[in-house]
Amino acid sequence: MSALFVLSAIGAVSLALGLWLLLPRGVPWGKPLGALLVAVALGVIASLVPRLGAWASDSVFLILAAVTVLSAIATITFRNPVYCAIWFGLSLLGTAGLFLFQGAQFLGVATIVVYAGAILVTFLFVLMLAQPKGQAVYDRVSSAAFLSALTGALAVGVLTLTIVGVWRAEPGPSQVAVVDRAALDSDVLAPDHMARLGASLFGKQLLAVEVAGTLLLVALVGTVAIVGQIHKPRTGGDASHV
Amino acid sequence: MSEVALLENYLLVGALLFGIGLVGFFTRRNMIVMFLCSEMMLQGVSVSLVGWGRFHNDWGGQLLVIFILTVAACEAAIALAVVLTLFHQRGSLDIAVWQQLREENQAPHLDIAVPPAPIEDERKWPRLTPAGIEPDKDLQEVLHRSHM
Repeated sequence: MSALFVLSAIGAVSLALGLWLLLPRGVPWGKPLGALLVAVALGVIASLVPRLGAWASDSVFLILAAVTVLSAIATITFRNPVYCAIWFGLSLLGTAGLFLFQGAQFLGVATIVVYAGAILVTFLFVLMLAQPKGQAVYDRVSSAAFLSALTGALAVGVLTLTIVGVWRAEPGPSQVAVVDRAALDSDVLAPDHMARLGASLFGKQLLAVEVAGTLLLVALVGTVAIVGQIHKPRTGGDASHV
Repeated sequence: MSEVALLENYLLVGALLFGIGLVGFFTRRNMIVMFLCSEMMLQGVSVSLVGWGRFHNDWGGQLLVIFILTVAACEAAIALAVVLTLFHQRGSLDIAVWQQLREENQAPHLDIAVPPAPIEDERKWPRLTPAGIEPDKDLQEVLHRSHM
């Protein structure tokens, strides 16, 4: 238990320092050291959990996880917001791969289509519409970088300890029984994945589907109402007291 | 493939995504990048949910992720409209511009003042060696362009 704690602490601290060095701070030094520290932290954190067992699934999972996490780090550390959005798209592709790896086929495809295809393109549209000329100051200097990195790494460390520690405690009767492979193959991993997912989506969750559809409509109307105010002449006094 | 190991690995990836998104949301000042980071936190939660769903042999995790996708789409549309409106009012995507936002009768409250940025040009300009002979300047042109 204490070895796990020490390893988690090492991982969290080096993740915090690495993220702090990598974040845009307006100074040119520290990026290679930050990348090294983040790599060390990710290696330490990955060494805390057991591997999957078969080398093929292990390597596929590790590659997907590395793509996801590294492009997530690149998303928050690049200064140009367009690059941030593109790195986020790569992170989404990694997430979709992780979904597919777990047998969630519909979610893997939906992540690519909805997130990377629609939401990310909307982000890029707005970036093109609202990007001032040249590199803006606020993209090059972040606020309270060290405290933020420390907070995030602390959260990751505590979560890691929880994830790793829960299962290493004595296996009492409160622990959930592990589902065996045959049950999985007959339900979540069944070949007719889409039919079962659709059946539970439009069966048990039908009301939630209706509410989600209404939410989409309301969001559409709200967006049009908000954007429609941009080009109206101001009635005056709206920015006087801010 | 051990199911417990799979769950732990997925939870760890989800935790990392959430933590990285949290750091980005706290520290970046561009409103659009902040919003990307919140989407990244949603991704972390989704990864964890799918992991739990497989572990418990239950469709609930995947169904919840479908609803997360729906809500994220709505949220992206509305938030980007708001960002566009804010950008049109001040001409800047900096979130620190809006830290004085308050009601009319409230006292102003400032967060930590954002330090003025050191503007140093990191782009490397090519340095050319001077070569050749400088041509004679046209007197008329020199007189015409007063800024030369």
